[in-house]
Amino acid sequence: MTQGRLSKFSASLTAVLIAALSVTAVASAHTGEWAKFNYCPSTTAGVRKCLQAVTSGGEIVLGKKTVPIVHPVTLQGGFSAENEETGISTMFAATNGETLTKAAQAVPGGLLGIVPPEGSPPLVKALSAFFFENGLTGVNATLELAKPASEIQISQINLVSQEGVAMKLPVKVHLENPFLGKSCYIGSSTSPIIWNLTTGTTSPPAPNKPLAGFGGLLEFKEEAQIAQINGSKLVDNAWSAPSANGCGGILSFLVNPIINSQIGLPAAAGTNTSILNNTITIALAEQVNLH
Amino acid sequence: MKGTKPAKLLRAAVVALVLSAVFAGSAGASPVWKFNGTELSGTEKIVGAAVSSSLTIPGMTTTCGHFLYTVKISNSAGTGKGEVTELPLFECGTNTVCTVETITAEKFPWPAHLTTVASKNYLVIEGVRVSIKYGGKGCSVGGLTVPITGTAGGLLDNTTESATFSPTTFSATGTALKFGSNTVEWNGLFPTEAFEWHREQALSVS
Repeated sequence: MTQGRLSKFSASLTAVLIAALSVTAVASAHTGEWAKFNYCPSTTAGVRKCLQAVTSGGEIVLGKKTVPIVHPVTLQGGFSAENEETGISTMFAATNGETLTKAAQAVPGGLLGIVPPEGSPPLVKALSAFFFENGLTGVNATLELAKPASEIQISQINLVSQEGVAMKLPVKVHLENPFLGKSCYIGSSTSPIIWNLTTGTTSPPAPNKPLAGFGGLLEFKEEAQIAQINGSKLVDNAWSAPSANGCGGILSFLVNPIINSQIGLPAAAGTNTSILNNTITIALAEQVNLH
Repeated sequence: MKGTKPAKLLRAAVVALVLSAVFAGSAGASPVWKFNGTELSGTEKIVGAAVSSSLTIPGMTTTCGHFLYTVKISNSAGTGKGEVTELPLFECGTNTVCTVETITAEKFPWPAHLTTVASKNYLVIEGVRVSIKYGGKGCSVGGLTVPITGTAGGLLDNTTESATFSPTTFSATGTALKFGSNTVEWNGLFPTEAFEWHREQALSVS
């Protein structure tokens, strides 16, 4: 094969590959109401339904800190048919890899007030003062999945009937600040924060008190091929949180205790709260494939 | 012009009487069951068969071709009482892609009583529980059993011997059917008649 022919063949192959990739991309580009399911693995074996849950408000109380949810967070993907005995379905990851989208939420007041232990090296004291006490460098908290999507459980009937656990979500909180480095987390894959979210009323240990969720208002769209739950309020205030880890990079052995002290970690069950205000949309995977 | 003291007292007494009469009327005096104008003594079974009846969650209405109810009625302490003992539902479907796989009324008997609101007589049924399992190709809630619970207030019409359930009658009686936090709208017209000792007698409440 000459150099010219090889070049033409290569160009043709590239064109074919681009065309094939384009077809794949178009296949999941749904329109209208169905666009909410663009990242649902609707053709994957075992996926019965597609889900998009957008949390547009609420708050997370973690030990001594309260973080309002200002930037929307989306949980998306597919889920299995309900187990006939338990009514529980398990989640399948979103096709774009973002089963739980990462939206950084500002921690009000940052971590102002942090006082390193008296015996800390001068460098730690100086960095701490620079990053936490100047009022300019905020701290963000980002919610991330701590386990594979298959560990997320959903009960559709509990979701709307305001009874029992509607969603089990294993999460970790990523604290972000230049001083904290890139690996400052509360919770991990081996020690996740487990939220057993309900739209009913919680029964937490003290000092927390029962907290009422809300099942939301069901609305059918596209001749009931799509069910949308508006104004759903998922709550849990019976969860515990482990200590922070990986904060401050190589200085983590010094910074972790400071962060733990500041936030109040580990935080026992009954001292934390999650309130998620959602719009939840569900459709059968086979119907999503048709649109 | 200023009134005399006795005149003021008289006016106050009249106002109080009028207000108490209005209040008693709107709060719900207690009507009783009657057949051919005579107050029912003992018990009777009445049956209502829907001319039309439907349950609506926004975006989906479930309609049944055969929607009956059976109520055992009596008068007790000057008030019409009752117990819904049966509610067979057949030939049900929806106005969407969803089908009704099963629909079952549960946990009988449902206690009922008569009440008057703004000069109109109502039958209020408590403890209503109907479970609907939807199915059908493409139905987003297919396979789920939807429990509908609550109380239902229907307007009784002596002329047509019927009970009408609608959002208006639910609002008047302060009743509601719910699925979780969702209000379920029930529309139905039930001509009603006696089934035991007072067959073919005119049923009325007053």
